[in-house]
Amino acid sequence: MEQLLQSYLPILVFLGVATVLAGVFIALSLLAGASRPDAEKLSPYECGFEAFSDARKKFDVRFYLVAILFIIFDLEVAFLFPWAISLGTIGEYGFWSMMGFLGVLTIGFIYEWNKGALEWE
Amino acid sequence: MMLIPTTHYMILSAILFSIGIAGIFLNRRNIIVILMSIELVLLAVNVNFVAFSQAHHDLKGQVFTLFILTVAAAEAAIGLAILVIYFRARGNVNSQAAHELQG
Amino acid sequence: MVEFLFYIFAGLMVLSAIVVVTARNPVHSVLWLIVAFLNASGVFMLAGAEFLALILAIVYVGAVAVLFLFVVMMLDVDFEQLRGNFKKNLPAGVALGILLMVELVMLSLSWRVVPAVTTASSSDTGVTNTEALGRVLYTDYIVAFQGAGLVLLVAMIGAIVLTLRKRDGVRKQNIGVQVGRKISETLEIRSVKSGEGIS
Repeated sequence: MEQLLQSYLPILVFLGVATVLAGVFIALSLLAGASRPDAEKLSPYECGFEAFSDARKKFDVRFYLVAILFIIFDLEVAFLFPWAISLGTIGEYGFWSMMGFLGVLTIGFIYEWNKGALEWE
Repeated sequence: MMLIPTTHYMILSAILFSIGIAGIFLNRRNIIVILMSIELVLLAVNVNFVAFSQAHHDLKGQVFTLFILTVAAAEAAIGLAILVIYFRARGNVNSQAAHELQG
Repeated sequence: MVEFLFYIFAGLMVLSAIVVVTARNPVHSVLWLIVAFLNASGVFMLAGAEFLALILAIVYVGAVAVLFLFVVMMLDVDFEQLRGNFKKNLPAGVALGILLMVELVMLSLSWRVVPAVTTASSSDTGVTNTEALGRVLYTDYIVAFQGAGLVLLVAMIGAIVLTLRKRDGVRKQNIGVQVGRKISETLEIRSVKSGEGIS
């Protein structure tokens, strides 16, 4: 337990350095930078004319579909890690257990391929 | 090295759970924030599972946390998909306007 | 040191959770949700759940939060109007939250944890956390594991059925037809006599 946490100490140090450094940069730019705002400077700048529309624009739902399919396969891979490490001890039963899991997801994969969800028109 | 008492994990989990429930209550109209609150509630449950897994020196808690993570991700994916088509049909994401489904 | 870290992670987690539910802009909510997940990852690590901590960072911060961000950016919604009577609900909501919290904390304080019951899935096996998980996950919990696979299948199919729609008037490349066509279908050889042309 203690050993586990000690092996992550470099990450903690890294996090600490990153936080302090980010804080220092923000604080320095706040303290040292000249800031004399007026209405014109603060208005949104778009090549000299007023902004035409909101920055929020509807974009294609396909991006969302790709993101969802990524999550599903991300989780599938997450289940593969412990399996890959412990395959030597869990034996044939564990192997076929994972094959069943992968089989179910392959059905989904074939479905989405046939539906054309992976194609970009 | 001292371990953190399990009670402290449970209190953390209780606070998170309450924030999630209060979030659902406060943002009743905005379905996106409601989904995020549900994620917080499930995270609170996960903290409890992991804490008990440590207290009992038993991996069951961690195994079930993994399953909860899976279910939560699937729930977020489907919930947001429903949200997207709801928005396409209605032009907003106001949950108070969803009474048409009552038939 | 570990205590100190735990309280830092826990404190940041609670603070960011509060911002998630109260922020005006849903984009800020999502970003603070990421902070909450990262701190939860730290808490998991301190509780010895190494694998889960990293999976939380990868799957949640890397994928689920991005999905939320996608949807918030994709929907062109006036979020100010959706806040509705947030101010009016605030006292009741906070009261409800505090009531629930007090009840749960009282329950936690009166809870007595039975020390170390040795079972088949004990975590003191001397192997890494990930390997110990793998030893029980695919054999002792095979039903739940296959159930997780089915849940993922349902999520995949559900997302496709709900969001995918065919668009009209899009010309696509049909490789099968393209490769499978024969010379006789497209090409005709005629002998053209000079001065007559092709009728």
